[in-house]
Amino acid sequence: MKTSASSGTVFVVDDDASFLKSASRLLRAAGYAVQAFESAPAFLGQLTPETSGCVVTDLQMPGFTGLELQAALVRSDNPLPIVFLSAQGDIPTTVKAMRQGAEDFLTKLSPKEKLLEAVNRALARNAHERTQREELHELRERFATLSPREREVLGHVVRGRMNKEIADELGINLRTVKLHRTNLTRRLQVHSVAELTRLVEAVGLFKPESAA
Amino acid sequence: MLPPLNYSPHTFSVTGWRARMILLVILVLTVSALLPAVAQPVTESAAARPKRILMLFSESKDVPGNIALEQAVRAEMRKLSPNRLEFFAEHLDASHFSDQAHFQFFKDYLGKKYAGQNLDLIMAFPSRDYTLAGALPDALFPNVPVVFIAVNELDAPYEISKLGVTGIVQRFDIRGTLGLMLHLQPDTRRVVVIGGVTEVDQATLQRIGEAARGAEGVEFDFWTNRPVAEMPAAVSALPAGTAVLLSTVLRDVSGQVYFMSQLAQMLAPPAHVPVYVMGGWVLGSGAVGGSVVDSEDLGARGGQLAWRVLGGIKPEDLPIEVATKGTPMVDWQALKRWRISERRLPADCMVRFRPVTLWEEHRTIILSSLAVFLAQAGTIAGLLAQRKLRRRAETEISRQRTELAHVSRVSTMGQLASALAHELSQPLGAILRNTEAAELFLKNDRPDLVEIRAILADIRKDDQRAGNVIERMRSLLKRRELESNPVDLGELIEETVALAWADASARRVTLTRQVSANLPLVLGDRVHLQQVLLNLILNGLDAVAAGENVERMLVIRAGLGTGGNVEVAACDSGTGIPADKINSLFEPFFTTKPNGLGMGLAISRTLIEAHGGKIWAENNVDRGATFKFTLPAERREP
Repeated sequence: MKTSASSGTVFVVDDDASFLKSASRLLRAAGYAVQAFESAPAFLGQLTPETSGCVVTDLQMPGFTGLELQAALVRSDNPLPIVFLSAQGDIPTTVKAMRQGAEDFLTKLSPKEKLLEAVNRALARNAHERTQREELHELRERFATLSPREREVLGHVVRGRMNKEIADELGINLRTVKLHRTNLTRRLQVHSVAELTRLVEAVGLFKPESAA
Repeated sequence: MLPPLNYSPHTFSVTGWRARMILLVILVLTVSALLPAVAQPVTESAAARPKRILMLFSESKDVPGNIALEQAVRAEMRKLSPNRLEFFAEHLDASHFSDQAHFQFFKDYLGKKYAGQNLDLIMAFPSRDYTLAGALPDALFPNVPVVFIAVNELDAPYEISKLGVTGIVQRFDIRGTLGLMLHLQPDTRRVVVIGGVTEVDQATLQRIGEAARGAEGVEFDFWTNRPVAEMPAAVSALPAGTAVLLSTVLRDVSGQVYFMSQLAQMLAPPAHVPVYVMGGWVLGSGAVGGSVVDSEDLGARGGQLAWRVLGGIKPEDLPIEVATKGTPMVDWQALKRWRISERRLPADCMVRFRPVTLWEEHRTIILSSLAVFLAQAGTIAGLLAQRKLRRRAETEISRQRTELAHVSRVSTMGQLASALAHELSQPLGAILRNTEAAELFLKNDRPDLVEIRAILADIRKDDQRAGNVIERMRSLLKRRELESNPVDLGELIEETVALAWADASARRVTLTRQVSANLPLVLGDRVHLQQVLLNLILNGLDAVAAGENVERMLVIRAGLGTGGNVEVAACDSGTGIPADKINSLFEPFFTTKPNGLGMGLAISRTLIEAHGGKIWAENNVDRGATFKFTLPAERREP
């Protein structure tokens, strides 16, 4: 049942003890690592940036609703994917939940297959996002090694400037520009300008607007 | 004790002779023994034969007084006697055939006619003398007792009682009649007395004369010396202030015979003044009346006396009764003629010939019966009408209330559908997940039976939970009558808030409750009260949800109000109620909501008022509105 893509823990949050227990039991039987919480605050309290997995939660809970839990996760530095399991949900609530990035919006009476698919998708997405986040993190660390002058040169390079233009712009000679470019491509481990441009976009440096 | 019979044909012929002889002897003995017993009933039936009574009248059989008297005697005796009585009547008609030859003929006739009749009693009705009661029966039927009834002023001869004779001598109540006359007509100054010339007539007149002496200021005029035939003209000329008293005229100066009723019929109609008489049977002739001899009463007394004699009491042991008191009796028609008010009549006076209506005869009975009947009928009709009206009203109210409550609950249920779907989804969802989990466990080579058993237990638990939810919905939806039981409002509020909680949280309204400790119970219908509470809560949620307030809250409070009432309030932080709407909130079909029925508060009011409480709304000082209702606290037994 469990796919290779799915890793991490399924965090089940529901104020209804009976449903919490049965849903956790099902997910555990399906091969997932499961942790059960009777309220959103209890779950959020033990959430760390390293936590991996997804959240399966009820929509209507006293005090801290499913939507509020979703909002809190989105704001956090570990936005775990969320699958709503609602006793009933109206259309506005569903739309709002999906807009906030919910992986799925299921009813409590949805068949197991739908639930497990949603959980798999959520876990896969979490794994994917984690990878992305880790790559970005690494990239950012690589960018962090650049000297101020190298960053300046990089900014001009990703905008497609020629070395001559860069040298004129910065008031340095052409050889120095070439040296900076060699250094930053080596530090960033890129082999072409196209690759360099993609990386810069991923990290979010030098937005076209800010440069304009 | 007989020897066993021998049925052999041979011995039968030998013993046959003996047996026949014995049988013959027995037969003879038996018949001779039976003979007296057979004869006995014959003599008994002779003893049980009807009593035979011979009635002897001095006058002809068509004398009204005697006819009435005879009827009364017979009726009374028949009433008293369990057996049949045989009456024979013979009339001497002495007034018309007064010669001795006729009497002898009559005597011979009687003697021959009743020779073998075994008479048991002779009743005599003498008018001129007591021969009929004494000499005649003594000569003809010496051993038959005699009872007589004489209506006249002649005394019975002393020796008559020695002949086995008793009877009643009924005198005319002259004083009574004169008294009645003067009572009815106090202005009477003159009384004309009309009488006859026979010894009996003279005796009567003499007694009238004696009575007249007692009547002061009244002049008595005895008209005996002129023929009755002239009298009608004479009485028609009498002046006012005069009254006529008719005495007996067995024979007038011209030798004519008149009976009292004849006389009255001749004289009363032409008379210019009221005519009074002394025989009850005379009434109806036009005479006013008098203290009269009442034939029925006299007949009854005579019948009783005769019955005692028939019963075996010797006549000589029963003294001859002489009675004088009459019965006041008047003719209603005559009263009218002489314009004598009935109110003047003595209390014991009988009024004859009144055109008797049922009303007059039985006025008291009719009145009281009618009163009772009317009262009963009125009461019954009133009660029935009242009951019908009340029943109808009650049925109508109850029907409407049930109907409205049902409609309201159904609409409330519509609003609560989300909450209830939530309530049902939880256990059903849990059951589904547990089932799915169990299926997965069973796919293992060695299924975890402990876990599966736990799953099944949980499924059962959730199934019950779902059933409870459905039961709650059912009870909320059911059409039902108002019940009255002690209700813990605190508990009810807790339950109702829980029911509405999902709805509140979906609308992001904080729903809380504040219930005083030691809140008294109220008497009421739990489901209906819950409906009111739900209604107020859902309204409150609507009100808060409609606004854009920072604080979105609805508080349900319950505590002791004034006058021992329990007060419940639903206080919201919504938009409040427009001042012009606050009074029409509880009107049916009033609504501020686009999809509202406008029945919720109207029904709530009906329900609360049915519980003896009040419900109202007020705007809060800061924001929102508060809906309140009161219910009388249950009086606990000390």
